[in-house]
Amino acid sequence: MSDASLPLAPAPAMAAGGRRHLPFWLGAVGVAVLVFVALRAIGNDYGYFAGYFILQYVVLATAWNILGGYAGYVNFGAAGFMAAGAYTAIALRKATGLDLLPGIAAAAVVGALLGLGTGYLTLRLRGVYFSIATLCLAVVLQTLVVNWDYVGGSRGAYIVRPREVAPFTSYGEYLFLVMLLLAVLAVGIARTVEVTRLGRGLQAIRDNERAAEAVGVPTLRLKLVATALCGALMAVAGAPLPYYSGYLNPEGAFSLAYAVNAIAMPLIGGAGTWAGPVIGAVLLGSLQQAATVTISSALNLFIVGWMLVIFVAVAPRGILGWFRRRR
Amino acid sequence: MTRMTRRALGRLAAGATVLAAAPGLSFAQGSNPLRIGYSMSLSGGLAPNGRSSLLAHRIWQEDVNARGGILGRPVELVYYDDQSSPANVPGLYTKLLDVDRVDMVTSSYATVMIAPSMPVVMQRNMCYVTLLGAGVNEAFKYDRYFNMNVTGDDIRANYAKGFLDVAARLPTPPRTIAILAVDNEFAQKAAESARYLSKQRGLRIVYDRSYPPTTVDFTPTLRSIQAARPDLIFIGSYPPDSNGILRAASELRITAQMFGGGMIGPQIAAVQAQLGPILNNLVTWDIYSPEPTMDFPGIRAFQEKYRARAVQEQVDVLGNYLQPYAYAQMQVVEQALNRVGKLDQAALAGDMHASIFNTVVGDIRFGAHGEWAEPRNLLVQFQGIRDGDLEKYKKPGAKVILFPESLKSGELRIPYGAPA
Repeated sequence: MSDASLPLAPAPAMAAGGRRHLPFWLGAVGVAVLVFVALRAIGNDYGYFAGYFILQYVVLATAWNILGGYAGYVNFGAAGFMAAGAYTAIALRKATGLDLLPGIAAAAVVGALLGLGTGYLTLRLRGVYFSIATLCLAVVLQTLVVNWDYVGGSRGAYIVRPREVAPFTSYGEYLFLVMLLLAVLAVGIARTVEVTRLGRGLQAIRDNERAAEAVGVPTLRLKLVATALCGALMAVAGAPLPYYSGYLNPEGAFSLAYAVNAIAMPLIGGAGTWAGPVIGAVLLGSLQQAATVTISSALNLFIVGWMLVIFVAVAPRGILGWFRRRR
Repeated sequence: MTRMTRRALGRLAAGATVLAAAPGLSFAQGSNPLRIGYSMSLSGGLAPNGRSSLLAHRIWQEDVNARGGILGRPVELVYYDDQSSPANVPGLYTKLLDVDRVDMVTSSYATVMIAPSMPVVMQRNMCYVTLLGAGVNEAFKYDRYFNMNVTGDDIRANYAKGFLDVAARLPTPPRTIAILAVDNEFAQKAAESARYLSKQRGLRIVYDRSYPPTTVDFTPTLRSIQAARPDLIFIGSYPPDSNGILRAASELRITAQMFGGGMIGPQIAAVQAQLGPILNNLVTWDIYSPEPTMDFPGIRAFQEKYRARAVQEQVDVLGNYLQPYAYAQMQVVEQALNRVGKLDQAALAGDMHASIFNTVVGDIRFGAHGEWAEPRNLLVQFQGIRDGDLEKYKKPGAKVILFPESLKSGELRIPYGAPA
């Protein structure tokens, strides 16, 4: 790509092992089961809420990484896509009474279409110009939502969720499990992108888009697939948000924290690899959650800012890049 | 694997908190304290009101502990900063209820912070006394919800009533009204009330617009209103834009028989100091004014304590807005607990529905939906304001109550825009 390129973790060797999908999926599902069983053993709803907080960022950061990490197109509009998912779930519930899971499916479709449309309109822009366009998208979407009374407009929308969902002990547990599955799915999709022709094409675009096009990489098509995937996963991350909080207003849905974290987490973990956003999201998400309930002040973005400064100075390729260099 | 119990997790969290020397928590003064938990906006956009509410809560805590606590137990406040972000609220209330195991929960300030806590509080069937929510329970219909706000059940029928009732007594009865409101929950409800009541009373609405919260230049908007030549101008605005609107109105020399209505901002000491004489003859909604008619038992003692510490704590120096209501919020909890005599949430809710509470903001009774049974929206007018000196706001006469009749302390002065 262009002028504004990101420091990326060195791409892992694309050995034959890189394509082994079954062990990855089994491992991912195994980890998810372990996490769920561990939290159930603790038997505390707070664990589910804190876990949900971290996992939503795993999905969001992984989604950002598909376009930002692999293709090098920095998307500042993560909050916009996430809010699109949240408001799709609200609109669907209001229109049809359908609950969380159909809401997530609808959010994926809307997010993918939004990503596709945005990509088609903006992917001729490169570098900072593309980033500014995505930022504008979030502003446009927020203005639309503020003026869309059907989903609450500026007043916000209430979702009165059921107190319990059988066979779960609480709605918090149900929400956590849904987000856990979404996180596994998102990471699996990102890894699949990484080890297939799509990922290699995106990496070629990132390194030099003109050269990639010259050797026959269908750049626009690949970028559109990446924006659609990125948009769908971001919207999916946002769809359970109104069910989590019971109330959503435009300020909360389009919060700066989502946009900042979506970029900071892959960069700190190691952009351009499927594991980087997961590491970044778990590390930063846990730190933020811990800061909220211990130091109890607005240290969240402060922590993110300082972590970014430290990593840019000490490990510009993120945690994964730092370890790989040391090896 | 070692099985971790809830209690062990609670101890671990408490230990971690001690190690982190958390300034946000105050600890037990004796054994087995009665713990009241809530999130509070100590940073972010709602922090000015959140921090001053917290000071009011701490004054109440000191007062109640000096009286021997509640049910023979010292009171401990357990609170976390929600950073004015609704997304933080559900997690914090889950932590308060499941890890910290608080005995009672109350709320942070404002609708956007109360609403996200409702599902968690409802799931655990807790009795919930909230602070200045607006119609939150319309959606949840929770029978253990009690809101400290003067608006009552029916905001549409009550909020702008004072403004239009007072307007109806003008020497020249008004025929036209302009309505301007910011795009947010409370201001839109205020505008809806003004619209509804204006139509009922046959007033012609000559201007009716909303503006986005990011607006900074109000000159074009006010010029449009000026061009419509309304007799009354009703504004529903929030602190940053209230300043912009009033400054623009002053620069454009806008005059109307009555100007204001539902502006949030002029109630705050910092805004009063900044705007000074621009506030003169402004008529707006309020919840407290230090007029003789609102000299409720305990209010002076509370305000003396509050003002003595407000400068040091860097919060609103007057405490003439939501601070007495924050203190009263805790008085409701205290009185219900003392009457019921045990931590039985159902019995507490029953008591709150049935009883009258004697608080520093007067005697309160809650209606079926948890709002005040008798709405008490004040309409106040700033009178004789020549400068930004705040001393005058500590005494009667600067913010005169025009409505309701039972609390009225002065007569309307017209028009807005007249020199002090």
